[in-house]
Amino acid sequence: MSEVMSNGVMSEVMSAEALMPSKKLSARGWMRANLFNRWYNAVLTLILALVIAYLGFRSIRYLFWTAEWEPVRANLTLFMIGSFPRDEQWRVVVQLLLLAAAFGVIWGSMIGASRDRAAQSGSPFSAEPGWVALRRWWGLVLLLGVLLLAAWGILPLVLAFGCIALIFMLRRIAMRLASKVRIYAWFGGYVLLIASWQIVSGTGGSAWFWAAGLLAFWGIRTVRKKDLTPRLPLTLVAIVGGGAVAWAIYTFILNGLINFSGVGWDNWSGFHLNLIAATISIIAAFPLGLILALGRRSSLPAIRWLCVTYIELIRGVPLIGLLFIGNSLLGFFIDNDPFIDFFLDTPLSQISRAIVIMSLFTAAYLAEVIRGGLEATPRGQTEAGQSVGLSPWQITSRIVMPQTLRASIPAIVGQFISLLKDSSLLSIIAVSEILRVRASVHSQGAFTTLGTAETLVFIAFAFWAFAFTWSRESQRLEKHLGVGER
Amino acid sequence: MSTTSRDDLRSSNLNPSSQGFTLWSDARTYRVAGQVIGVALVILLIWRLTNNLFSNLDRLNISRNFDFLTQPTNFAIAENWGFDTSLPRWRMLLIGLQNTILAAGGGIVLATILGTIVGIARLSSNWLVSKISTFYVETLRNIPPLVVIIFFSIAVFSSGPFPVFREATELKLPFSDSNWLILSNSRIGFPSFSAERNISAFWLLFAMTFLFAACMWAWRTVKSSKTGVPHRRVQWSLGVFVVLLVLWFFLLNGPYDWSWPSRTENGRRLASGFGTSAAYLSVTLAIAIYTASHIAEIVRGAILAIHKGQGEAATSLSLSSYQRYRFVILPQAFRRIIPNLINQYLNLTKNTSLAVAVGYAELASLTQTSIGNGAPAPQSILLMMCGYLGLSLIVSLIANVVNRSLRLKDR
Repeated sequence: MSEVMSNGVMSEVMSAEALMPSKKLSARGWMRANLFNRWYNAVLTLILALVIAYLGFRSIRYLFWTAEWEPVRANLTLFMIGSFPRDEQWRVVVQLLLLAAAFGVIWGSMIGASRDRAAQSGSPFSAEPGWVALRRWWGLVLLLGVLLLAAWGILPLVLAFGCIALIFMLRRIAMRLASKVRIYAWFGGYVLLIASWQIVSGTGGSAWFWAAGLLAFWGIRTVRKKDLTPRLPLTLVAIVGGGAVAWAIYTFILNGLINFSGVGWDNWSGFHLNLIAATISIIAAFPLGLILALGRRSSLPAIRWLCVTYIELIRGVPLIGLLFIGNSLLGFFIDNDPFIDFFLDTPLSQISRAIVIMSLFTAAYLAEVIRGGLEATPRGQTEAGQSVGLSPWQITSRIVMPQTLRASIPAIVGQFISLLKDSSLLSIIAVSEILRVRASVHSQGAFTTLGTAETLVFIAFAFWAFAFTWSRESQRLEKHLGVGER
Repeated sequence: MSTTSRDDLRSSNLNPSSQGFTLWSDARTYRVAGQVIGVALVILLIWRLTNNLFSNLDRLNISRNFDFLTQPTNFAIAENWGFDTSLPRWRMLLIGLQNTILAAGGGIVLATILGTIVGIARLSSNWLVSKISTFYVETLRNIPPLVVIIFFSIAVFSSGPFPVFREATELKLPFSDSNWLILSNSRIGFPSFSAERNISAFWLLFAMTFLFAACMWAWRTVKSSKTGVPHRRVQWSLGVFVVLLVLWFFLLNGPYDWSWPSRTENGRRLASGFGTSAAYLSVTLAIAIYTASHIAEIVRGAILAIHKGQGEAATSLSLSSYQRYRFVILPQAFRRIIPNLINQYLNLTKNTSLAVAVGYAELASLTQTSIGNGAPAPQSILLMMCGYLGLSLIVSLIANVVNRSLRLKDR
């Protein structure tokens, strides 16, 4: 819809020359149409051109000559991974490679899946070449370039191009897989994602949880393929059974025999921590957000009011206040309670507390996002489900939810972006994310006053590259999914 | 027939046993049980957590009451409005609330103006103008507001181009010895008004003039609807208001005068004029330009969402570009803008709490300092949360009233 509308307004705002779509304008004609079409526009153009020329000159001079980039260049590793143990740095490198591999496999499988769908409906399909995608992600590519320039070494170069090569190689392989084999590719991508997490954190803590999810995923996919009717029990069996098997493997094999210990997130810092805190929080917030969204639209008044109260209370207060609660109050609520001690390893570390709070915070916003998706799903869908005699659970899980989630993906990505930006707030409660690392950089003798603005510009640029690229992707997804065209 | 069957259904539902229904096969049983269980679980959780809180507080000997509010503050705060450290803590918190409101208010005004301009500029037919606004929006929207605030505080003020206050730059008025602006890296001096004489008489006349102008507005409206002459009520009432006000001002021998900013002899403080700290300016400006990028998107989206035919109809009536925007497009866009704008105002109000990072004495940072100076954390944070909830509530109440008055009545 937005595309259509924007065309509409553009044609309305532009002058007559621009209205003729078939005729390609010459450079002169284009300038007449877009820069000098009225006398006041001509004046405006001239003034702005002068201002831009001046500002551009000043910024280029600043960026390439006068700015003090030394604090950034000398502390690049510190900005990226902070106080991560230096002996264990290889873990981050392997994590990057694994992430690249997972990304390549999943991306390729997605392309393969849409190719198959196109083949089924008989519509033409051509996969987008890789370099087109790289052009779309120019923000991130620019960030990578800047990082490589600042690092200025052969190893970072090899790593960066290795990652890119891995992505495109695996993408190429995965997109050519037959649909029967592709399910294993999805599965493999998921395994790679988990591995990329576990390679850093070791087999401690959450390993069995992820593995349970993996088995559940496998179980559900299998059930989906054969059209087995009792889905809910099977799903439950998959989750519970998967969890049990994974827990056994974890306890007896991984932890007992291999004991591959790693670096827990308490030792993560720098931009690495920003990214991971945002990712974990949005994943952890999702189930609660889903429940809150459904609860808010529930016909049961007590449940509805509970959900509304939670959502509105959280949305009415600033995140920094909640982080204060996490920092100085959460311990009071959960420490020295045998029941809670059974599930959680109290007292929680500072980063864990912050992540708990960010998840609880995000859940309220996600609930509103998903509610928006629910409201965009026509009522007739539910009624159609009722008319063919489906149970409320079946209607929600098989008719409403797929459409709702599809419609809310762009907004969820938006929520993730704002969560990434909010992760900078952790610096205020002394978690060593990138802004906090900056403070420690400027407490070094050589950099106390040198380049205080430049480090900020660098941090802003790092956030911008991720947020900008993802927001572009979410807009593209929005068009692709046809959200808002109903 | 349909009614009878529905009645049958209802009676069978109401009286399950008569039809051979049992309690556990009735949907309502599950509805009630579900709600009872849900509420019970939540109450249990809250009870358990509060219990833990109290036992942990007792164990650590932290007080559970609000007595600390009446004890002296004992620490100095910036932006104090004449605050004395021996005053009780609740006065200190009120000053924090006041500073939050000041930052939020300034931010809202600036962000709305800037956001609207940028949003409309993005749709300009001038390629350069629209590209510059796109650049602005896409840059600012994707940077954490906290980074923007710290950037202002550091790069613009504390280690920026301005001198220290002692050697502040004073910008003089032409043909005069007084300044209109004092620039330094810690405080900025602006002109303000000083009350001279006949203040109460002036405000009394002000109120009466306002009433008179309102009557004028009503009279023009009624006359226009009766006779069909153009009402021109803005010109009429505003003209009357301004002319009378200027008249009163001179008749009362100038009740207010400018107070141009100046510094004391030793150059440490402002002697006259209105001074704001660099912290206030960095918070307000940073939040305003950050939120403006979001408001710009809202404005642009709302204008784009108006049906193309509306603009074409206006053009076919040979309305000018200004008239098309003023009478056709913007009034419709405005209705779509308001609900999203409320959201942005709420976000902006909450974002003022980021001032903690640059030490502007608003509610969150004063709460933090207060906890650091011995106030019990649970009560302090509770009060702070109530403060923000209250502010959010007030902003959304005001905005809802505006929204309701603007909503289309006929659809």
